[in-house]
Amino acid sequence: MNRFNLFTLAIKNIQRKKFRTGILVFSITLIVSVLVFGVSFILNVNSGVRRASDRLGADLIVVPVGARGYAEEVLLESKVKSFYMNKNVIERIKRIEGIDTVTFHTYITTIQGVCCDIPEATVVAFNQGSDFIVQPWLEKAIGRKLEKNEAIVGHESFLNIGMGLMDAMLFGTRFRIMGALEKTGTGLDNAIFMSDENIEEILQKGKAPLKPDVISIIFAKVQKGYDPYNVGRSIEGEVIEADVMARSDIGKDIISVLGDINMIFSITVFMASILSVLLAWAIFSATVNERLREVGVMLALGAKESHVSKLFFIEVFFIGLMGSVCGVVFGTTLSVLLMKSFTILKNLPGGLNAVDRAAIGVAGFVTGTGICILGAFSPIQRIKKLEPLAVIKGELA
Amino acid sequence: MHIVLKEVARSYFVGKEKIEAVRNVSLEIKRREFISIVGHSGSGKTTLLSIIGGVARPTSGTVLFEDNDIYFFDKDRLSEYRCERIGFIFQFASLLPNLTAKENVLLPVLFKTHGNRDIADSEKKAIELLHRTGVGDKVNAYPSQLSGGQQRRVAIARAFINDPEIILADEPTGDLDEETEMEIMLFFRRMNEEAGTTFVMVTHNSELVRTTGRQLKMSNGLISTVLHE
Ligand SMILES: Nc1ncnc2c1ncn2[C@@H]1O[C@H](COP(=O)(O)OP(=O)(O)O)[C@@H](O)[C@H]1O
Ligand SMILES: [Mg+2]
Repeated sequence: MNRFNLFTLAIKNIQRKKFRTGILVFSITLIVSVLVFGVSFILNVNSGVRRASDRLGADLIVVPVGARGYAEEVLLESKVKSFYMNKNVIERIKRIEGIDTVTFHTYITTIQGVCCDIPEATVVAFNQGSDFIVQPWLEKAIGRKLEKNEAIVGHESFLNIGMGLMDAMLFGTRFRIMGALEKTGTGLDNAIFMSDENIEEILQKGKAPLKPDVISIIFAKVQKGYDPYNVGRSIEGEVIEADVMARSDIGKDIISVLGDINMIFSITVFMASILSVLLAWAIFSATVNERLREVGVMLALGAKESHVSKLFFIEVFFIGLMGSVCGVVFGTTLSVLLMKSFTILKNLPGGLNAVDRAAIGVAGFVTGTGICILGAFSPIQRIKKLEPLAVIKGELA
Repeated sequence: MHIVLKEVARSYFVGKEKIEAVRNVSLEIKRREFISIVGHSGSGKTTLLSIIGGVARPTSGTVLFEDNDIYFFDKDRLSEYRCERIGFIFQFASLLPNLTAKENVLLPVLFKTHGNRDIADSEKKAIELLHRTGVGDKVNAYPSQLSGGQQRRVAIARAFINDPEIILADEPTGDLDEETEMEIMLFFRRMNEEAGTTFVMVTHNSELVRTTGRQLKMSNGLISTVLHE
C-alpha cells in the first residue's frame, strides 16, 4: 500500500471529480498541442530556410530586378519559374570591389509534350568553368564534369522521374542522364542540371522559351574582410537592373509571411491561454468551495497555510502535468505527421532534430502547467486563509 | 499552571447586533486536570473551547499556554500549537470523506513539525487508537461506510494521534449509546491517569460530569464553578 502523505492525499483528491478534472486536462492538452504544433511549424520553416541558404554556399545572390521572390521560390521551394537578365551583368559585377568569385545559372522551364519528355521541371544550365554551387555535388555523383549533351538530375527529381532513366529529350536535343545528385536540401533538388555549353544548340532548335545572351541568377563570393551587405549595396548601385540578396536575406519573403502567421498564431494561443486560465480558475474555485469544510478541519487540526497550499498545488501541478504531457505528445505527433502536407515545408531541408523537439516540448509543458497554476492561484490563496472556527461550530456542514 | 485564561471575551456581530458569546472568563487549568463544562445550548461552550484550542482569537483577554500568550504566536507557531499540543474533538462530523478511518486518524501527523513524523510508526499507533476507541474492525472503512457513532469514535482516535497534552472535547459522546459512552469515558480517564493528558470536556450528561475532577457551568457567556450540595 502507498504510504500516506500529502502527495498521496493530493492524488486521492484528484480522483474525486473525474469528469471535471478530465475537462481541465483536456483543455490543457488542446492548448499545449496547438502551441507545440504551431511552434514546431514556425521553427521548421525558419531553420529549413536558413539551412537551404547556407547550403547554396554563396554570400550574395544577384537576380533581375523584381525577381527576388521568384529566385527564392526556385532555390528554396523548388517551384518552376523563369526570369532573365543580360549576360553582361556578370562582367560588371566581377569589377566591383570586394567580389571574389562569381558564377551563374540560366533556368529554362521544360514543358511536357512540347519540348521535352519529362514532367515540368527547371533545367539549370550552369557554367562549369566558374561553378561552385553544383560542383561539390557533381564531384560526389560522377567524379567528373558533364560533357555536352549530358545531364544529371537532382535527388528529388530523380525520385520523381523514376530510376532507370537513361536519356531524356530536352528542348529538342537528346541528353544522356548521367545519374542523380545527392540530396542538397535546397530547391535545386528538383531540378535537372546541364552545362551551359548546351545553350547554343538549344537556342538553335528554338524549342525553349529562351533568348540569346541571358542568364537567370548570379552567385558571388565576397573577399575576406568585406561585408557582404556593403558589397551588395555597391552592386545595386552599379547594376540598376539587378537585385541583390545577401545569404541571410534569402528566404526573407518566406520568413516575413511566416512572421504574419506567427503573429496570428501568437495572438490565438495567447487568447486561448487566457481562456484556459479562466477555466482552471472556475474549476478550482468550485473545488475549493466544495472542500471548505475539509480544509477548515485540516486547519483546526493544525495544518499550516503552507500545508493547504502545498496539497492543492500538488493537485494542480498533476492536472497540468497530465494535460501538458498529452499535449506535447499529441502536438509533436501531429507536427511530424502533417509537416509534409504544408507546401511551404515540402521541399525545405532537414526539419527539427530531437533537441529542438525536446525544447519545444519543455516550453509546452511549462505553459500547460503554468496555465493551471495561474488559474488555481487565487482560489488556493483564498482557501488557505479560511477561518476554521466556522467549521468547528458546524456552520459549513 | 498549564493553561491560564485572563478576562477572555469573544463577541460576534450579526449585522449591527453584538452577540457576546464569551464574556470575561478567567480560568486556570492545571496539568492533568479533568474538567467538564456544562451549559445550555448557545451559552458559549464551543466558543470557549475554540479560544483555548487556538482556533478562535478572543476579542479581548489573553490565553497563556505554559506562560506564553498563544495569540501572540505567528501563524505557523499557532498551527504547531494546534497540531502538537492540542487534540480537538469537534462537536460536529469532521472526517474527510475520501480518507479511510486510519488515514483520517493519521491526518494530523502530516502537519507535524516536531517529533517523530515517521508514518509507519504512526500507522501502528493509529490502528491501536482505533482499537481502543472500539472501531478496530473499521480501519480501512470510509466515513460513508460508518455509522454516526463510529465516525465520532474515529474522530476521537484522531485527537490522540500526536500525543497532545490537552484534549478539548466538544460533546464527544453526544451521538454514542450509553455503553460506548462509558467505554470512551474509560479510555479518557486512562489517558488522563496514565499519559497525564489534561482534559476539558463539554457534555450534557450529568452522570459523566460527576466523575470529573472539576465541574464548570457556562451560562450566557459566563463561567462558574458547580458546587455540589
Ligand atoms: N459565527 C457566529 N456569528 C454570530 N453569532 C455566533 C456565531 N457563533 C456563535 N454565535 C453565537 O454565540 C453564542 C455562543 O455560541 P456557541 O459557543 O456555539 O455556544 P454552545 O457551544 O454553548 O452552544 C450563541 O448565542 C451563538 O448564537
Ligand atoms: Mg457547541
